Amino acid sequence: MVPKVAIYDFTDCEGCEVKLVSIREKLLILEKRIDIVNWRLGQEDNKPGPFDLTIIEGTPITQHEVDLLKKLRQDSKVLIALGACATLGGIPAILDKKERAKWYKKIYGEEYKPRGIDALPLSAYVKVDFLIHGCPIDENELIRIFQELLAGKTPAYRGYSVCFECKQANNPCRIINGQPCLGPITQGGCGSICIKGGSPCYGCFGLRQEANVKGLVEVLQGLTDKKEIERYFTMFLSRAFDK
Amino acid sequence: MEFVIEKKKIDKWLDDLKKDFKVIDIRGKALPAKQYFLPPKQKTFVFNKKTKKLSCPEYKKEFLVFGLGLADLEAMTQLDEIMEKPYSDFFYWQKRNKSLIIGLVDESIEVAPGGDVILEKITDQQYRALILTDKGKAIIKDEFFDKKDKPSIKNYPQPDNPFKRMLLDSELLAEAVKWSLNHKIWDKLGEQCLGCGICTYVCPLCHCFSIEDQVSLDNKECSRCRQWDACTLPEFSKVAGGHNFHKTIKQRYYNWFYHKFVRAYHEYGKSQCVACGRCRENCPAGIKISEVLKEIVDDYKKHLSAI
Amino acid sequence: MTTKNIYQPFKIKIDKIEKHSRDVKLFRLVGDFSKNKDGTVFMPGQFVLASHFGYGEAPFGIASSPYQDSYIDLIIRKTGILTSALHQLKAGDEIFMRGPYGNGFPVDFISGKDLVMVTGGCGIPPIAALIEYINAHRDRFGRVYLIYGARTPADLLIKDKLKQWEDKIKVLLTVDKPAKDWSGYVGMVSELVDEIKIDSLDAVAAMCGPGPMIDALEKILRPLGISDRRIFVSMERKMQCGIGKCQHCVVGDKYVCQDGPVFYYDQIDKSWG
Repeated sequence: MVPKVAIYDFTDCEGCEVKLVSIREKLLILEKRIDIVNWRLGQEDNKPGPFDLTIIEGTPITQHEVDLLKKLRQDSKVLIALGACATLGGIPAILDKKERAKWYKKIYGEEYKPRGIDALPLSAYVKVDFLIHGCPIDENELIRIFQELLAGKTPAYRGYSVCFECKQANNPCRIINGQPCLGPITQGGCGSICIKGGSPCYGCFGLRQEANVKGLVEVLQGLTDKKEIERYFTMFLSRAFDK
Repeated sequence: MEFVIEKKKIDKWLDDLKKDFKVIDIRGKALPAKQYFLPPKQKTFVFNKKTKKLSCPEYKKEFLVFGLGLADLEAMTQLDEIMEKPYSDFFYWQKRNKSLIIGLVDESIEVAPGGDVILEKITDQQYRALILTDKGKAIIKDEFFDKKDKPSIKNYPQPDNPFKRMLLDSELLAEAVKWSLNHKIWDKLGEQCLGCGICTYVCPLCHCFSIEDQVSLDNKECSRCRQWDACTLPEFSKVAGGHNFHKTIKQRYYNWFYHKFVRAYHEYGKSQCVACGRCRENCPAGIKISEVLKEIVDDYKKHLSAI
Repeated sequence: MTTKNIYQPFKIKIDKIEKHSRDVKLFRLVGDFSKNKDGTVFMPGQFVLASHFGYGEAPFGIASSPYQDSYIDLIIRKTGILTSALHQLKAGDEIFMRGPYGNGFPVDFISGKDLVMVTGGCGIPPIAALIEYINAHRDRFGRVYLIYGARTPADLLIKDKLKQWEDKIKVLLTVDKPAKDWSGYVGMVSELVDEIKIDSLDAVAAMCGPGPMIDALEKILRPLGISDRRIFVSMERKMQCGIGKCQHCVVGDKYVCQDGPVFYYDQIDKSWG
């Protein structure tokens, strides 16, 4: 039996779905093993549930999106979050609720009634079976997870930090050179792409299991001020920072 | 008779060697030479689901790793021993047997610690080749090396390394680390350590690995991979079903030390550490292994004198 | 620097699969196994690394008789990716295997002495092999007891064997949660001690943990007067290479895969959990 797959997106840039397309010939192989019955971005003929697997990209922002998410959960055997917006809240969650309310008023005036309720990851509303992290996701990780799912396995998270791949890439260590980086507490799988390109790691792959957040914050305090550290964490890991 | 090469000719020599070998210059690399024999990730077996045949990827190309310092050469000699006893590690030797190791040492050498050839600095502009194996002999070509009866040899003393001195008494280290189980330093390190694993990746002797299987996307083949693991990571001692035998980072960190300084001493009669300093240079949390060890040894000595 | 590949597994056929409890199956693997000079194929307590390509490789204690050279039995509980995949296989399918590995129980030391074996649930395979070894030449051993515990009566494995063994050794069964018709014991209780008549100065014990180990030690073996020095424990750890390289299975100075899995209880460094 070919599994019925649906791909949905909420509020986001659709970049992770583009990544899905960019696996190119692998997508054609995948197409033979799954039946994509619903994909707004990829096809015109879309069918309703139930689905064996539903992949959701983006953050549920509006009541409509939250309701749809809950319905998709009911309609799906396996539900997977695709990309940092779905797994961590991502870009829409950079601003917290209070701040957002303040800026709504400032920009749109007192009368404005925003449609958005909040910006939280999918897991704030429903049970999510697996998180494919990243902003955007990594093609190889995506393929690995599909391989595991199609082989009937429960996909496994990467148990190591970004540092493993960063060292393999022969990148100079940012922290040692006095620049903040969240690599040591962030789950690997990205190939340390940001550091390769000269940017810090902001943690879009989520916290590594048993990450020592407190320990890293102490290290970062020796490199920069509290405000800057907070800025680093608000990109993707604000929930970890509050703890 | 000595074979002497001008410093400025070394790169030309390497270029020439590229005709016969894949030449890897490890100078400036974050990871040590072990990565070429025990790669961070490697396919070990492939099973074809249709033919039901199991195959093992072959490794054919001869390669040469250039630029190892004294500590790295010693580490390779130790790693060879680890990968030979009690059972030969097939995948390690598959690559190692196809390789040559060339040292580049800016200090005067007392005992050559390993490798096929070591270039030892003898003047500010010259190195002499210490030829240690037949394979090494074959790559010393007249075109690049001058034969000299008695070349002038300056002495370049090895810088004093207190850490290295400490390693000389590996028995004391083994006793001290074993004794230190309840030392407060492990609590402190348990808080400080970020668990990133860098210290184990950059260590020229750490060789933990894990094995992982995959089924290809087209469902045609299954592969078995082995990749570096780090004993400081949470999953390292966790069994299927969830029980974790080393629950805390503190336990895992102690186990890392225990392996290097206690278990290794009992297995091989020496610490699995060559005082290369990489773990210290690369630790993002600023943990200085040599100082941790010194504190443990000092406290152990105090403990001994108190009883 | 040999060219022999120690990691190379060989193909082996599943002859039959028996369901033994909710999540445990017995796999009978057929092949021609070469015998050692004493007629055994492996030592009781040794394990193999069985693999299903694409799903991984893991250690399993051999549960069949060491004298059986046409098949081996593995008892496998569904706990992770590999074991779930194995549970989906059918008789006639092939898997891969390497080994046997490890030391096994010191049968020569045990011979001539009284023996108390304690295990629980899925810890039965190495003990089963030991019993089969003993029963093959029963006269070489003294009084032999097996205490086998499980959560419920339904979780007791290889029930046919347990019955069969009763002719030659004393089998004591105990469960944590009895069913209606349960006539055995409940828990590791002191009444079990009363059932056991041994020469405590010349008796040894064999255990396969970790489940009932500490409980059995405190409530049964120590009250029986068997010293820690004479208790053999088969240990379980994460294992990957099976040859003492990958470091996953270490307990202090010991590699469970190479130095074990059977250890003298007093030799185990307890600080390693």
